[in-house]
This record gives sequence, C-alpha cells and structure tokens, in this order.
Amino acid sequence: MELIDYLLKITPVIANGLGVTVSLFLIVLVLSVPFGVLAALLRLSPIGIVRKIMAFYVYIMRGTPLMLQILFIYYGLPFIPYIGVQLDDTTAAVISFVLNYAAYLCEIFRGGIQSIPKGQYEGAKVLGFTYVQTMRKIILPQVVKRVLPPLANETINLLKDTSLVYILAMNDVLRITRGIVQRDFDTSAFIVAAIFYLIMTFVLTNIFNYLEKRYAVYDE
Amino acid sequence: MSFIEMKEIEKSFDGLPVLKKVSLSMDKGEVVAIIGPSGSGKSTFLRCLGQLEVIDRGTIVVDGTPLVQTEGDGNAVYTDKKTQQALLLKMGMVFQQFNLFPHMTVWDNILIAPQMVKGMKAADIAPTAEALLKKVGLWEKKDVYPSKLSGGQKQRVAIARALAMNPSIMLFDEPTSALDPELTGEVLRTIQQLAEEHMTMIIVTHEMAFARQVADRIIFMADGIIQEEGKPEDVFTNPKSPRTKAFLDSML
Repeated sequence: MELIDYLLKITPVIANGLGVTVSLFLIVLVLSVPFGVLAALLRLSPIGIVRKIMAFYVYIMRGTPLMLQILFIYYGLPFIPYIGVQLDDTTAAVISFVLNYAAYLCEIFRGGIQSIPKGQYEGAKVLGFTYVQTMRKIILPQVVKRVLPPLANETINLLKDTSLVYILAMNDVLRITRGIVQRDFDTSAFIVAAIFYLIMTFVLTNIFNYLEKRYAVYDE
Repeated sequence: MSFIEMKEIEKSFDGLPVLKKVSLSMDKGEVVAIIGPSGSGKSTFLRCLGQLEVIDRGTIVVDGTPLVQTEGDGNAVYTDKKTQQALLLKMGMVFQQFNLFPHMTVWDNILIAPQMVKGMKAADIAPTAEALLKKVGLWEKKDVYPSKLSGGQKQRVAIARALAMNPSIMLFDEPTSALDPELTGEVLRTIQQLAEEHMTMIIVTHEMAFARQVADRIIFMADGIIQEEGKPEDVFTNPKSPRTKAFLDSML
C-alpha cells in the first residue's frame, strides 16, 4: 500500500508537466502541418532552384539529430552575425520542432501528392480550375486520406519527442519524473510517466482511427 | 471562317514528332470522329485543342479567337492566360479514364466546377445538374460516390459534368476504351444524343461502327499525319489510302 500512496502522491506532481508537453505538442502540430504542405508544394515546384533548396532543407533536418537542432537554435543562434538572436526556451523549442517536423511532413505530403493520378489534374484543368483551386478542392482532400496512416505515426512520434525539451531545462512530464526519481531513488515514477504518455497516445490513436473511418466513405 | 480552325499543328515529345503539320477545320454543329492505330497522334491532337498539350508550331483559332499562332519560322505563341481560360471554358472534355473526383458524390462532381470556376450558387446550378443527370439516366445515383458506379455510369457522369459547364464544343478522348464491351452502348447512346442536338464534337475512338454512324466526317490518322478524311460512307466503304484500307481491314 505504501507504493500506491507514493504513486498517488507523485502523480499530481508529474501531471504538472502535462502543460509543457501538451502545449508544445499542440503548437508544433498546428504549425508544422501547414508548413509541411507548403514545403511539399515547393518541393514539387516547376522551378528547379526552389526544388533544390527544399531538398537541401529536408536533407539537413532529417540528417541531423533533433536534439542538435534544438541546441543549435537555443545556444548557437545568438552567435550568428546579423540574424543572431537569443530566443527564450519555449520559442527555441517550438521553432526547432516545427522546422524538423515540417521536413518529415513535407516528404509525407509530397509522396501523397505524387500518388494522385495525372488524370485528376487534367480533369480539373479542362473544367477551368486554377492551380490553387485544383490543389485545395481536388488534390489535397484526396492526399489527406492517403497520408493519414503515416501522419498518425509522425503525430505520435512528436508527442514523445517533446520530452527532448529537458535539454533546455523545460519542465515537461519526463523531466519532472526524472527529478522525482533522482530525488527519491525510486524508479516507480517512470511507470506513472509511461501511463501518462500511453493515455495521450491512446487518445491520438482513436482520433486517427476516427478520421480514417470518416475518409473511408469513398474508395479511390 | 470555320468554328474551329487548327492549322499545321506540330508537336514533339522529347524530340520525337507525334504531330506533323496536322490541320482540321470544323463548322459549328459538326461531328468529327478521329480514328487510327494507337500512337498515331490522334489523342495528342485532341489534347492540343483542350489545352492539355502545348504545341510547338501551328495555329489554333476557336470561334474567331486565336488560342495560339505561329509567325513565319518562329515557335508557337499562345494568347494571354485570360483568353486561354475563356477558350478552355468553351470546351468540355471526356477522358478514357473518366477522371471523376473520387472524394465527391456524383452530385458534387457535377456542381463543383460551376461553383468554383463560374462562381455560381449551388441553388442556381441545381436545376441544370438535375436535368443533366436525368438526361444521362443517373439521377437516382446522385448521392453515391464514383467508386460505386460501373464504368459506363462513370463515363455518363463525366459527360454530365462536362456539360454542366455549358460548353459549345465537346471533346471525347477514347470515351469507351476503358469499358467492358457490354457497357459501351450506354455511353455511345449518350454521345449520339448530343450529336442529335447538334453539339460540335470531336470524338477519338476505336468504335468503328459508332464513328460511322454518329460522325459527319471521319479522319484517319497514322504516324502523326492525317492519311485520309471524308464522309463516313466514303472512308469506310471506299478508302483511298492503302494505310486506311489496311487499318480498317485489321479492325474487322
């Protein structure tokens, strides 16, 4: 019973970290999806130099650790001439997460856009649709259905990746938990943290299942 | 001047010429069927008129408005975007692969273009859409998604969708080639009906009997040029070109 009392005592403390975890997760998700779509459209631009720049951006973001990117934005940016600024920890975290996740989402959306048959563009074109109308009404709604499974993966990854902000001393769920473990010399706090993450991923999984069902009303 | 004037159209894909100075002039209300072996350039020719291909050289004038012109030895020069769009809206195009929008119901497939492109309200386009769906015999299917339709039904929806934009020219790019043989009839009857209403039409097809029956003029294309053209009776019963004769024999 001592263990249960202990767990009940630390649970509200760990729950204090939910604010950082959930808000970072939501802000990054809401920002990185539109940036990812935009990046995918630029990645498929008819202008060669734009395509190359986007490919390079994706390469950098996928080719270096997210932790390194966070450290660079927070500690390295102030030393860059002219554009160098010292960001506060939350802003630095949001910017590095959005840059990183938009790159992964860019590739997911690019694959989705490229999987739509050419005939869809031609069907829209002969009806007089502009490029923007074609994308907004014809192509992207079909892309959403196709990218839901990989999108669910990235979303759940993001939720867990938010724990990297401990490096900026931000008190998310996992950093608070580590603090408790080190203070009490008791690893059972990790179980509580794991349950928090599992509950959140359970909610996300169900949201994505719901979306997949909703998009299942039509077949290709 | 003819309603549609296409003069000496030249088009290459990666240096490979597919159209070698192909010309066609058509009157309003005329129905032209283009026949010929695969790879003859007949679909490409149709797609040039539908602005899905950019021509290298030649002239296209529709209803007195130039779409693209070529001066002397120069390259083809297209008119401004606004005129291109205006000319595009005169055309309705139907594809071999239907190209319906799978994420929309039949009803929305028909309404979306008038709404988005012409800025019409759903209530204003609804009577036309209803009449068109009844015309192609699919009114009871208005709330289903395209995946639930047979190929012939899909193609009839595609025809209704094109007609909803009130085009003055209909282009058909092998409209029955992706259909099971028993489903071609329903699509051909719909096209036949349009011909009876004096819609100006160009039909690229492999359906010889249908071409003969519906068209005012037959064009036989092979190797990127028009080998022969004329009235259906003449081309089918008494072909002048040996190429035409060999092709027609092979189709029997």
